[in-house]
Amino acid sequence: MDGGKEIMETEDFAADAALFARLRAVWEEVDPVPVDLVDRMVAAVAVEDLSREYALLTLVESELANTRGETDTLTLQFSDGDTSVLLHVSATESGEHRIDGWVDAAALAVKLTQGDREWNADLGDHGRFSFDAVPSGVARVRLVVRDGDLGLREFQTPQFEV
Amino acid sequence: MMYQTQTLPLPSGVDTMGAMTDVDRSDPRDDVPAPGGMSAAESDGVSEPTRWERAADLFARWREGDSRAMDQLVRLMTPVLWQVVRAYGLDHALAQDVVQTTWLTLVRRHETIVEPRAISGWLTTSARREAWRVGKLQRRADPTEAEALEPHLPMHESAEHTAAQSDEARRLWAAVARLNDRCQRLLRVVAFDERPDYARIAQDLAMPVGSIGPTRQRCLGKLRVLVEGDGWGEGNHGD
Repeated sequence: MDGGKEIMETEDFAADAALFARLRAVWEEVDPVPVDLVDRMVAAVAVEDLSREYALLTLVESELANTRGETDTLTLQFSDGDTSVLLHVSATESGEHRIDGWVDAAALAVKLTQGDREWNADLGDHGRFSFDAVPSGVARVRLVVRDGDLGLREFQTPQFEV
Repeated sequence: MMYQTQTLPLPSGVDTMGAMTDVDRSDPRDDVPAPGGMSAAESDGVSEPTRWERAADLFARWREGDSRAMDQLVRLMTPVLWQVVRAYGLDHALAQDVVQTTWLTLVRRHETIVEPRAISGWLTTSARREAWRVGKLQRRADPTEAEALEPHLPMHESAEHTAAQSDEARRLWAAVARLNDRCQRLLRVVAFDERPDYARIAQDLAMPVGSIGPTRQRCLGKLRVLVEGDGWGEGNHGD
């Protein structure tokens, strides 16, 4: 009967594995991963990953407006001929800058870097995003947008001064 | 024995979160089952490349400079992290935050990972810790919510999915829902974590380390009794 115990254990093991497989299937069905979570995680990781290569957008237009006294606003438009990014930079009361952005594609993750500092944007509908309190200095925006059914595209702007 | 793993179809319903098709694996599989007991060998004797090995290869490729390998790693492991994090009773929004935190931590701190081959375990462990931490804050911040969150019955969020299930799956789910919280959490984590680190799970669940194996067996045993319909009237209070 020496082999008996071993066979039992092997059978138990196989039965446990089969039950766990069924449990996985049930959990995946009753509580599936949210539809767009995977894409959003890919995008969030991409903008975080400094070792990546991003398609560089070029500056199409830059307009500095002095609207009311000391309140300067700067509007920058970047494009690669296909996707465009518009940035609107305004001064805040605290002496920093607010950047409102818009991209004509669905943004999944947007990040602004400035030297060693970086901010992740609040993403809204219709490709809108914003950064609330950016100090003066040279900055760059990096973003990942959904590209139809084809997947994700990654861009970064040239450096610009706020 | 050689396995042509990349051309094998996935057994239906089994390990669907591992449905990566473009990872080139041709190494012979390790015949020793993972301690979690559900990774490689399924009952038909076909060995899928284990998920943790695919994760390890992708992580290695990313570290060697292939940034796309990270995308694949994220696609491979995010559904797993979702299940592991949701086992801790976090709501949808918090669970998504925890999954994202886990990934960003990986990118920021990957140099500190001692065992890159164990990246899959690193990810699930980080996610579990963060889920546990966030869950504790959530319970402290809103104690009245705790009761509602703890039993964790996501059925309500996807009734149509539940309705679409086979009778058998529904029976299994009903049985799971009758297990105590600790058993539900433990079985869910173990089911999705190929190489559970029992010492750490025990810590999270405040159990003595030695008891986790037997506890798993007890939870599985109770589940079997419930599924078979022998225990509906009694013994559902857990230990």
